[in-house]
Amino acid sequence: MLVMSRRQGETILIGDEIEIVIAHIGRSRVKVGIRAPRQMPVVAREMKLVREENLAAAGATASDLSRIIARLHP
Amino acid sequence: MPVMETKNFGQISFEPDSELEFPSGLPGFDSRRRFVAVRFVESDPLVYLQSLEDPDLCFITVPILAVDPLYKLKVSGEDLDQLGLPHARQPRIGEDVLCLTVLSVRETGATANLLAPIVVNLRNRRAVQAVASESEYSHQFALMPQEASVCS
Repeated sequence: MLVMSRRQGETILIGDEIEIVIAHIGRSRVKVGIRAPRQMPVVAREMKLVREENLAAAGATASDLSRIIARLHP
Repeated sequence: MPVMETKNFGQISFEPDSELEFPSGLPGFDSRRRFVAVRFVESDPLVYLQSLEDPDLCFITVPILAVDPLYKLKVSGEDLDQLGLPHARQPRIGEDVLCLTVLSVRETGATANLLAPIVVNLRNRRAVQAVASESEYSHQFALMPQEASVCS
Protein backbone atom coordinates (compact mmCIF):
# COMPACT_ATOMS: atom_id res chain seq x y z
CA MET A 1 0.00 0.00 0.00
CA LEU A 2 1.23 3.47 -0.84
CA VAL A 3 1.39 5.61 2.29
CA MET A 4 1.60 9.39 1.96
CA SER A 5 2.01 11.94 4.69
CA ARG A 6 -0.22 14.99 4.30
CA ARG A 7 -1.09 18.09 6.31
CA GLN A 8 -4.52 19.58 6.82
CA GLY A 9 -5.71 21.28 3.64
CA GLU A 10 -3.40 19.30 1.38
CA THR A 11 -4.65 17.19 -1.50
CA ILE A 12 -3.95 13.85 -3.12
CA LEU A 13 -4.82 13.13 -6.75
CA ILE A 14 -5.73 9.68 -8.03
CA GLY A 15 -5.64 9.65 -11.80
CA ASP A 16 -7.10 12.71 -13.51
CA GLU A 17 -10.53 12.61 -11.98
CA ILE A 18 -10.28 11.86 -8.28
CA GLU A 19 -9.19 14.40 -5.72
CA ILE A 20 -8.89 13.72 -2.00
CA VAL A 21 -8.57 16.67 0.37
CA ILE A 22 -7.55 16.30 4.01
CA ALA A 23 -10.16 18.78 5.19
CA HIS A 24 -9.66 18.60 8.94
CA ILE A 25 -7.48 16.67 11.34
CA GLY A 26 -8.94 16.17 14.79
CA ARG A 27 -7.67 14.23 17.77
CA SER A 28 -8.98 10.85 16.66
CA ARG A 29 -10.77 11.59 13.40
CA VAL A 30 -9.89 12.96 10.03
CA LYS A 31 -12.36 14.68 7.76
CA VAL A 32 -11.68 13.85 4.16
CA GLY A 33 -13.19 15.59 1.15
CA ILE A 34 -13.55 13.51 -2.00
CA ARG A 35 -14.15 14.84 -5.47
CA ALA A 36 -14.90 12.10 -7.97
CA PRO A 37 -17.03 11.59 -11.09
CA ARG A 38 -20.72 11.31 -10.25
CA GLN A 39 -21.02 7.72 -11.50
CA MET A 40 -18.23 6.56 -9.16
CA PRO A 41 -19.69 5.29 -5.88
CA VAL A 42 -17.92 6.63 -2.78
CA VAL A 43 -18.91 4.91 0.47
CA ALA A 44 -17.34 4.09 3.82
CA ARG A 45 -16.04 0.52 3.78
CA GLU A 46 -18.39 -0.61 6.54
CA MET A 47 -21.36 0.51 4.43
CA LYS A 48 -20.22 -1.78 1.62
CA LEU A 49 -19.81 -4.69 4.06
CA VAL A 50 -23.31 -4.17 5.43
CA ARG A 51 -24.77 -3.90 1.95
CA GLU A 52 -23.19 -7.20 0.91
CA GLU A 53 -24.22 -8.82 4.18
CA ASN A 54 -27.83 -7.70 3.68
CA LEU A 55 -27.88 -9.09 0.15
CA ALA A 56 -26.61 -12.44 1.48
CA ALA A 57 -29.04 -12.40 4.42
CA ALA A 58 -32.03 -11.70 2.18
CA GLY A 59 -31.35 -14.95 0.35
CA ALA A 60 -31.97 -17.15 3.38
CA THR A 61 -34.68 -19.73 2.77
CA ALA A 62 -37.20 -21.59 4.90
CA SER A 63 -34.91 -24.58 5.31
CA ASP A 64 -32.15 -22.28 6.59
CA LEU A 65 -34.56 -21.08 9.26
CA SER A 66 -34.93 -24.46 10.87
CA ARG A 67 -31.14 -24.83 10.94
CA ILE A 68 -30.80 -21.49 12.75
CA ILE A 69 -33.49 -22.42 15.24
CA ALA A 70 -31.76 -25.72 15.91
CA ARG A 71 -28.55 -23.81 16.63
CA LEU A 72 -30.22 -21.35 18.96
CA HIS A 73 -31.82 -24.19 20.92
CA PRO A 74 -29.07 -26.75 21.20
CA MET B 1 -56.74 -5.59 9.04
CA PRO B 2 -54.39 -5.36 6.02
CA VAL B 3 -53.34 -8.67 4.49
CA MET B 4 -49.98 -9.26 2.82
CA GLU B 5 -48.79 -12.05 0.53
CA THR B 6 -45.35 -13.40 1.52
CA LYS B 7 -43.03 -16.01 0.10
CA ASN B 8 -42.15 -17.69 3.39
CA PHE B 9 -45.37 -17.46 5.36
CA GLY B 10 -48.12 -17.30 2.74
CA GLN B 11 -50.77 -14.70 3.56
CA ILE B 12 -50.25 -12.78 6.77
CA SER B 13 -52.48 -10.13 8.31
CA PHE B 14 -51.07 -7.41 10.50
CA GLU B 15 -52.18 -4.50 12.63
CA PRO B 16 -51.58 -1.27 10.68
CA ASP B 17 -49.84 0.26 13.68
CA SER B 18 -47.37 -2.61 13.89
CA GLU B 19 -45.78 -1.43 10.65
CA LEU B 20 -42.13 -0.34 10.83
CA GLU B 21 -40.94 2.54 8.70
CA PHE B 22 -37.33 2.66 7.49
CA PRO B 23 -37.10 6.26 6.19
CA SER B 24 -34.07 5.43 4.03
CA GLY B 25 -34.47 1.70 3.55
CA LEU B 26 -31.59 -0.66 4.34
CA PRO B 27 -28.16 -0.74 2.63
CA GLY B 28 -28.67 -2.76 -0.54
CA PHE B 29 -32.46 -2.30 -0.29
CA ASP B 30 -32.72 1.48 -0.30
CA SER B 31 -36.22 1.56 -1.73
CA ARG B 32 -37.72 -0.87 0.80
CA ARG B 33 -39.21 1.31 3.50
CA ARG B 34 -42.11 -0.62 5.04
CA PHE B 35 -41.69 -3.79 7.06
CA VAL B 36 -43.47 -5.79 9.73
CA ALA B 37 -41.82 -7.83 12.45
CA VAL B 38 -43.28 -11.34 12.50
CA ARG B 39 -42.82 -13.78 15.37
CA PHE B 40 -43.92 -17.36 15.85
CA VAL B 41 -43.95 -19.29 19.10
CA GLU B 42 -42.24 -22.26 17.47
CA SER B 43 -39.35 -20.17 16.11
CA ASP B 44 -38.80 -17.99 19.16
CA PRO B 45 -36.54 -15.95 19.59
CA LEU B 46 -36.36 -15.30 15.83
CA VAL B 47 -38.01 -12.18 14.47
CA TYR B 48 -38.72 -12.13 10.76
CA LEU B 49 -38.52 -8.72 9.15
CA GLN B 50 -40.93 -9.04 6.26
CA SER B 51 -41.06 -6.34 3.58
CA LEU B 52 -44.55 -5.02 2.85
CA GLU B 53 -43.41 -3.94 -0.59
CA ASP B 54 -41.72 -7.14 -1.74
CA PRO B 55 -43.24 -10.53 -0.82
CA ASP B 56 -39.86 -12.20 -1.47
CA LEU B 57 -37.86 -10.00 0.86
CA CYS B 58 -37.61 -11.22 4.43
CA PHE B 59 -34.70 -10.88 6.84
CA ILE B 60 -34.22 -13.32 9.67
CA THR B 61 -33.26 -11.45 12.81
CA VAL B 62 -32.96 -12.06 16.50
CA PRO B 63 -32.92 -9.62 19.45
CA ILE B 64 -29.29 -8.56 19.67
CA LEU B 65 -29.07 -9.22 23.42
CA ALA B 66 -29.87 -12.87 22.73
CA VAL B 67 -26.61 -13.05 20.78
CA ASP B 68 -24.54 -10.75 22.99
CA PRO B 69 -26.11 -9.90 26.38
CA LEU B 70 -23.48 -7.16 26.87
CA TYR B 71 -23.94 -5.55 23.44
CA LYS B 72 -23.18 -1.82 23.53
CA LEU B 73 -25.39 0.10 21.14
CA LYS B 74 -23.82 3.13 19.47
CA VAL B 75 -26.11 5.02 17.11
CA SER B 76 -24.76 7.91 15.03
CA GLY B 77 -26.30 11.38 15.22
CA GLU B 78 -27.64 11.01 11.71
CA ASP B 79 -29.42 7.75 12.61
CA LEU B 80 -30.78 9.25 15.85
CA ASP B 81 -32.30 12.02 13.71
CA GLN B 82 -33.95 9.45 11.44
CA LEU B 83 -35.36 7.67 14.48
CA GLY B 84 -36.56 10.92 16.03
CA LEU B 85 -34.49 10.35 19.17
CA PRO B 86 -32.52 12.96 21.14
CA HIS B 87 -28.75 13.23 20.82
CA ALA B 88 -28.26 13.69 24.56
CA ARG B 89 -27.70 10.00 25.26
CA GLN B 90 -27.62 6.64 23.52
CA PRO B 91 -31.01 4.88 23.34
CA ARG B 92 -31.58 2.03 25.80
CA ILE B 93 -32.38 -1.37 24.34
CA GLY B 94 -35.79 -2.57 25.47
CA GLU B 95 -36.80 0.82 26.89
CA ASP B 96 -36.38 3.27 24.01
CA VAL B 97 -35.63 0.94 21.15
CA LEU B 98 -35.96 -2.60 19.89
CA CYS B 99 -32.57 -3.79 18.68
CA LEU B 100 -32.30 -6.72 16.26
CA THR B 101 -29.35 -8.31 14.52
CA VAL B 102 -29.69 -9.68 10.97
CA LEU B 103 -28.70 -13.32 10.55
CA SER B 104 -27.07 -14.88 7.49
CA VAL B 105 -26.69 -18.55 6.78
CA ARG B 106 -23.49 -19.68 5.15
CA GLU B 107 -21.94 -23.09 4.61
CA THR B 108 -19.85 -22.66 7.74
CA GLY B 109 -22.86 -21.80 9.91
CA ALA B 110 -25.04 -18.87 10.82
CA THR B 111 -23.61 -15.43 11.48
CA ALA B 112 -25.07 -12.30 13.01
CA ASN B 113 -24.36 -8.77 11.77
CA LEU B 114 -23.39 -7.01 14.98
CA LEU B 115 -21.78 -4.14 13.06
CA ALA B 116 -25.12 -2.87 11.81
CA PRO B 117 -28.05 -3.63 14.12
CA ILE B 118 -31.65 -2.84 13.21
CA VAL B 119 -32.83 -0.20 15.67
CA VAL B 120 -36.56 0.53 16.05
CA ASN B 121 -37.87 3.49 18.04
CA LEU B 122 -40.59 1.85 20.14
CA ARG B 123 -42.57 5.09 20.36
CA ASN B 124 -42.95 5.99 16.68
CA ARG B 125 -41.95 2.65 15.04
CA ARG B 126 -39.37 4.34 12.87
CA ALA B 127 -36.37 2.14 12.16
CA VAL B 128 -32.84 2.28 10.78
CA GLN B 129 -30.06 -0.16 10.20
CA ALA B 130 -27.47 1.63 12.29
CA VAL B 131 -24.13 1.05 10.59
CA ALA B 132 -21.51 1.66 13.26
CA SER B 133 -18.26 3.31 12.35
CA GLU B 134 -15.25 2.81 14.60
CA SER B 135 -16.87 -0.35 15.90
CA GLU B 136 -15.20 -3.46 17.21
CA TYR B 137 -18.22 -5.56 16.33
CA SER B 138 -18.14 -7.94 13.39
CA HIS B 139 -20.57 -7.96 10.48
CA GLN B 140 -20.17 -11.75 10.47
CA PHE B 141 -20.22 -12.79 14.11
CA ALA B 142 -20.33 -16.60 14.23
CA LEU B 143 -23.38 -17.77 16.18
CA MET B 144 -21.99 -21.18 16.80
CA PRO B 145 -18.46 -21.52 15.48
CA GLN B 146 -17.73 -24.82 13.84
CA GLU B 147 -15.27 -26.89 15.76
CA ALA B 148 -11.81 -26.45 14.36
CA SER B 149 -10.77 -29.42 12.30
CA VAL B 150 -8.03 -31.46 13.86
CA CYS B 151 -4.75 -31.44 12.04
CA SER B 152 -3.39 -34.87 11.48
